[in-house]
Amino acid sequence: MRPVARNVLLFVIAMPVLLLLIAPPAGGQSKTEPTAAELAEQIQALKREYEARIGALEAQISTMEAQAQDAVPESEGSPQAARPASDNAFNPAIGVVLNGMVSAYSADEFEIHGFPTGHESERAAEGLSLGHSEIAMSSNIDDKFLGNLTLGLGVHPGEPTELELEEAYIQTLPGAGLPEGMRIKAGRALWTFGYLNEQHAHGDDFADRPLPYRAFLDNAYNDDGAEVSLVLDTDLYSEVGFGAFRGDDLPFAGSASGRGAWSAFARLGGDFGRNSAWRIGGYVLGGEVNNRGGGHGHGDEEAGGHAHEAGEHEEDGHEEDGHEEDEHEEDGHEEDEHEAENHHDEEHHDEHGHAELFSEGLFSGDTRLYGIDFRATWAPTGNARDREVTLQGEYFWRKEWGTYELAPEGDEEHGLMEDFDLTTPGWYLQGVYKFHPRLRIGARYSRLIAPPEMELERDPTAISAMLDWTNSEFSRIRLQFNRESLAEDGHDDQIMLQYIMSLGAHPAHTF
Amino acid sequence: MRRNLLAAAAAAFGVAGAALASPAVAEVRVFACEPEWAALAEAVGGGGVVVHSATHGGQDAHHVRARPSLIARVRRADVLFCSGAELESGWLPVLMQRGARHEVQPGQPGHIMAADHVPILDRPETIDRSLGDIHPSGNPHVHLDPRNVATLASELSRRLEHIDPDNAEAYRARLASFQAGWAEALRRWSDRVARLQGMKVVVYHEAWAYFLHWAGLTRVASLEALPGIPPSAAHLQSVLEQARGTGAEVILRAPYEPRDASSWLSARTGIPVVELPYTVGGHPEATDLVSLFDVTLTLLEEVRNRS
Repeated sequence: MRPVARNVLLFVIAMPVLLLLIAPPAGGQSKTEPTAAELAEQIQALKREYEARIGALEAQISTMEAQAQDAVPESEGSPQAARPASDNAFNPAIGVVLNGMVSAYSADEFEIHGFPTGHESERAAEGLSLGHSEIAMSSNIDDKFLGNLTLGLGVHPGEPTELELEEAYIQTLPGAGLPEGMRIKAGRALWTFGYLNEQHAHGDDFADRPLPYRAFLDNAYNDDGAEVSLVLDTDLYSEVGFGAFRGDDLPFAGSASGRGAWSAFARLGGDFGRNSAWRIGGYVLGGEVNNRGGGHGHGDEEAGGHAHEAGEHEEDGHEEDGHEEDEHEEDGHEEDEHEAENHHDEEHHDEHGHAELFSEGLFSGDTRLYGIDFRATWAPTGNARDREVTLQGEYFWRKEWGTYELAPEGDEEHGLMEDFDLTTPGWYLQGVYKFHPRLRIGARYSRLIAPPEMELERDPTAISAMLDWTNSEFSRIRLQFNRESLAEDGHDDQIMLQYIMSLGAHPAHTF
Repeated sequence: MRRNLLAAAAAAFGVAGAALASPAVAEVRVFACEPEWAALAEAVGGGGVVVHSATHGGQDAHHVRARPSLIARVRRADVLFCSGAELESGWLPVLMQRGARHEVQPGQPGHIMAADHVPILDRPETIDRSLGDIHPSGNPHVHLDPRNVATLASELSRRLEHIDPDNAEAYRARLASFQAGWAEALRRWSDRVARLQGMKVVVYHEAWAYFLHWAGLTRVASLEALPGIPPSAAHLQSVLEQARGTGAEVILRAPYEPRDASSWLSARTGIPVVELPYTVGGHPEATDLVSLFDVTLTLLEEVRNRS
């Protein structure tokens, strides 16, 4: 009996796992005490059963091994594998755009005659210069919102580096519970107007913006405000939207109410066949203007902007009449500017007529900018990366009602134009052809149509041609030639060599 | 001013309201990023689904424009069926953000990324842009292993049953017949693949990883030095040496891949170039998923028999 009992014990010790896993519950044993023979019989039965089970398991394992050899090894990682979670897993996507250029110009004068432009749309400094660098951060905030912050670093030779808040907005995600297709964006953003406005300049096909953008929007409209848009449930792409803005960025200025501007737009788009696509749009942007002057964009009241403008006028004074340099150097108050303008005016007022008033005067009233745009793309094989033709054009017209005032009342140079109603159109058309996966050529023509009231000799026009080389979607080098005819006579021939590189997170391209 | 604002808003919503009032269609709308998933959705979904493919057989799904028409399609989709693993990262996020409904956002039953459901190859150990346009999640071209197609067919059917429970029975029946046909095709292909075992190939992009793995072919060189970056002359020279040294039998090319590099290598080595369909529609005879693999194997067998 003893040896049998020992046998049982050994068996239990040898197969603890199997016993634990497969042995029938202890309560299942017979209620009466079993005899030794019965015990031995039961043990033998168990043994046979285990052997059978082990055999089956072994067979199963060998078939699994065979299958595993056939299947993709798990060690290569599967998406179900846990990712190491750390704090920076939730950091926003950060992208940096680096941009530099070397340029040469044939003319010193570069203002668009009759059209006051802002700081942003001036041509880059001649020679080697650092263009606009950009740092963008964006991330989903939670299931309902997305946030984006884009800082622009502007460098103008001889001045401190300017930090501009280009965009700082939140936007609803599809999980926010709004009606299907609706999106709300609030904060400061490159708002929907035409084709280029929404896009950061580094995504453009040319080194500079076309004339209507420079003259009417100071390159881009990125006021503070909010916009609601709705992609409609239609077969054809259709989208409508409207916005309300503070009214402090060109074409507006000096918002008194903080809700001085509004916009509305509608877009349609679709495909032609398998390899081409199109989109058209209509836009309107309207609002109040209080004392919008030449050379003022964002930061009208900021010291930075003024210092720069004072510097410019100082140059004017120096060239034209060598007037009181010290005073200009000391500070750049509004009075000084007007003084400089007055002197400028003394010499040119007669020959330029009203142009001076429009260029240098302060405008107050209402402005409304209308725009239509189209873009069509065609990739012969459907692969835009290899070969593609894009054709794009926009036509803007600006209607303004109000008063232009040159120099304060009482000043002998005081000029005033009241109760006028002026419509100024401007447009551009461009074509870009990617003839090799890395090379593109493009041409653009842009024109502002000066209304008769401006009494300009000719309309400002610009012709551009470019060739660019794209190594990857993150780096591009561009050579561009411009012939700008913005002043009353002569041309400014410009040649620019530019690099645009982006590192880190790179926003996906829109159409 | 205020009146203008209100007028603009009223106009915008007037148009919107008119468009929203259009009657709803009962079918499940499937937005497939690539033709292979469109073909699978048609096979499993049958008459219960309306399928639209964002790309066609001649297009490289890495580089597609977020065209207005795609925004409109995603906007109306009930199911989004894509490869995932960053294959569509250049354009799909724009569509998703701009148009997509909540039902097809990540985590929802209407959101299917193939790479989430199958074992992934080539997952990089380090991620750096100097390594080219790499996919941090691994190789996304999963459909070229037919076993993955079977897995995705079941997954799709499960999702469709959930989204459209009224037709669940029909989806299950169609799935069963698809799987039976697919198992039959797999048996046929495994005999053919056995005869191609060990065939040495030069590829352009790592688009063939799953196919080579399944069929037991050996990749000896890649014309692209780094994913997404066209080859340089120096790299081509080294590929030339590799191809000669290893005795490569064939250069594989997808319909959308550039021809110059593969033609150059072929002209110098005499190794034939074969343009495989890659996806449904990539070859005139590759009209569905079964014929995609049939045509691919036939083209490779032709090369084998010639040499």
